[in-house]
Amino acid sequence: MTPRCVHVPCTLVVCLVLGPWGVAQARSVEQGAPATPVVSAPAEPGVLGRRIAAAGAGDIIEVEAGVYTERIRINKPVTVVARGRAVLDGGGNGDIVEITAPGVTLRGFTIRNTGIDLDQENTAVRVLAPRATIEDNTLEDILFGIDLREAPDSIVRRNTIGGKALDIARRGDGLRLWRSDRTIIERNTIHNGRDAIVWYSADVEVRNNYAYECRYGLHLMFSDRVTITENEFSRNSVGIYLMYSARVELRQNRLIGNRGPSGYGIGLKETDQFSVRENLIVGNRAGVYIDGSPFTDKQPGVFVRNTLAYNDIGITFLPSARGNELTDNNFIDNIDQVSIAGRGSLDANRFWKGERGNFWSDYSGYDQNRDGVGDFVHESRTLFENLMDREPALRLFLFSPAQQAIEFVGRALPAVRPEAKFTDEVPLMRPVSIEFVPGHGEGRGTSRLLLISGVVLLGLGGGILASARDGARDRIGRHPGAVGREGEIG
Amino acid sequence: MSALGILPTVGVERTPPSVLRNTMTIAQRELREAVRSRWFLLYTLAFAVLGLAVSFVSASGSGGSGLSGFGRTTAGLVNIVLLVVPLMALTAGAASIASDRERGMLSYVFAQPVWRLEVLLGKYIGLAASLLASLSLGLGACAVILAWKGIAARPASIVWLTGLSFALALGMLSVGMLISALARKASVAVGTAIFVWLILVFVSDLALMAGTVALRLRIEELFLLSLLNPLQVFKMWTLHGVDATLDVLGPAGLYASEEYGARLHVMFGAFMLAWVVLPLSAAAAMLSRRSPL
Repeated sequence: MTPRCVHVPCTLVVCLVLGPWGVAQARSVEQGAPATPVVSAPAEPGVLGRRIAAAGAGDIIEVEAGVYTERIRINKPVTVVARGRAVLDGGGNGDIVEITAPGVTLRGFTIRNTGIDLDQENTAVRVLAPRATIEDNTLEDILFGIDLREAPDSIVRRNTIGGKALDIARRGDGLRLWRSDRTIIERNTIHNGRDAIVWYSADVEVRNNYAYECRYGLHLMFSDRVTITENEFSRNSVGIYLMYSARVELRQNRLIGNRGPSGYGIGLKETDQFSVRENLIVGNRAGVYIDGSPFTDKQPGVFVRNTLAYNDIGITFLPSARGNELTDNNFIDNIDQVSIAGRGSLDANRFWKGERGNFWSDYSGYDQNRDGVGDFVHESRTLFENLMDREPALRLFLFSPAQQAIEFVGRALPAVRPEAKFTDEVPLMRPVSIEFVPGHGEGRGTSRLLLISGVVLLGLGGGILASARDGARDRIGRHPGAVGREGEIG
Repeated sequence: MSALGILPTVGVERTPPSVLRNTMTIAQRELREAVRSRWFLLYTLAFAVLGLAVSFVSASGSGGSGLSGFGRTTAGLVNIVLLVVPLMALTAGAASIASDRERGMLSYVFAQPVWRLEVLLGKYIGLAASLLASLSLGLGACAVILAWKGIAARPASIVWLTGLSFALALGMLSVGMLISALARKASVAVGTAIFVWLILVFVSDLALMAGTVALRLRIEELFLLSLLNPLQVFKMWTLHGVDATLDVLGPAGLYASEEYGARLHVMFGAFMLAWVVLPLSAAAAMLSRRSPL
């Protein structure tokens, strides 16, 4: 068996079969070139800079597919649009795009790979002029995503911003506004960043965005008249954190599973004249955290028609929180529905107004005249909750029978019964029904699989019982001592 | 096995297959008797009814949001398991050897060509199988109810909960059998088992709570002390498995998650294993030393 005899026919067969196939493949690639470009081939350096230099104000610069590794400075009012998959690659250091002229549009690019220098604030897209439109871009592997500095009247729309896989302390902000009034932020997806933060910017609208696995999903600092609607903030440390801002409106947002040592769905710190309406606040460590808000007594803090469910704590009030009014909210199975941190009191906040109270899943009264309002006052006074508020370490004993024992003692013995934390004179008998916009990433499992596992478990139990009946009888039945022992225990 | 000091009562040549066969024969006898007893029926029913009630209530209270808290359901089920399973396993274990001894069954069985360890292990395996049947029937029914009520949950959580409940049952059964090996009368054994149950379920937690408040225990001390109670280990392990973090348990839970992370599985597993192995070994040692009467 000489190798030659084998190799020659083999090579022939391979050439005959694979040759035409390979040609056909090459041809199809050629024909489909605009749709499936060869992205690995880097473009000639400086080509984009020259095209911007050659363009006049108002021109549309169309950028073909390819990988561009240059730093780009857009210093005249042009529209820069990607045709196909045009990638702006920072090569792992420094910034990538800088916009210095007003009225620039940047659309459809993949922008990736900034540096990781937090001091330099390496940024994918930095805007230093008003009226910019940044839309339909995909930012990957970036430290700071879109940074608007003194860029009022801008629009940030339909971008996907993904941070670097860094420790939270070394990440940059996915989105940052600095003195950029009247900016619209909509339909963006931000993940693995630090914050989406708004500094000193008034009349900003934030709607339909989705942020997950960041530090703060949205963070307002000294920004007034901001409306935040129909966003979803999931699995961040804090969903929405409002600080030192006023006239802020939160409506129809979903705040789900924001956890961690200081995990809140919504945090309010020294914020004034705010309203929180129809938000869905589920599974957070604390649904709402209120510190010194409302800041003045111009207007009560408004919480209406929110659903707070399955949070460890529904709402946490710091002793500094006063002047909030809660009506028509659903408090459903939060471990601690309302908590007051430390030894303060909730007297300065109201849990009902006129004829409208809230729905409390732990309300134990009834409604004889069927007007939808419970006939007895809802008073929150469970001993264990009271202990937890004072001594948070006792949460370790949650879900244990000892917790129920303490609550039972609290109910049975008036002497140890704590003062009512708050009262709702007109508690609702049924939860307020609220239509929500559909969210992202819910229902990780399915009922069907749960059903299957339930049936499997039942089968296991039944199988053991059946084997006890069959197997034992014929093998041990012969032992004279094998008599039943029913009823002898105890 | 002879290293444990448990010698065959009859000097016959023994091979591993026959050891296994003897053990399994005794296990099947024990299982059959356990399943036929009123207690098994009572505990299984109580467990299933309580579990179903929890599932039903937590499934119906989602307030039209379309969201359901399987985490909360798990917590409710954990609560039921903590209350019922230790009682079930402790009393079943406590009654097993002591009642046989009381009726003279033990000396009869020991007169047969079997090792005492085989008897002990056989009883243990048989009772464990009956507990497994009881648990999987109860929790399986809960899973079916939750699925029927349209709860979208990870099925892994209910399987995880069942597995850990079984581990807890094994540990408590082991303690029960130690009580049984020590006690002379079945009534004393069962009484002691109920006393131990009270201590594990209520007294130790309440004492630790009082200690936290009165002695200003640091959270790391609190967490390490709580590991000594197998019920707390079960609870924390279940939550850790379902949520991958213990932050729901406040500062001590956060400390545990951040300090130990995934190593918590190993820690909880080691403590649970100790509760299975140590009391059972002690029971074996007692049984080999004592006269069967």
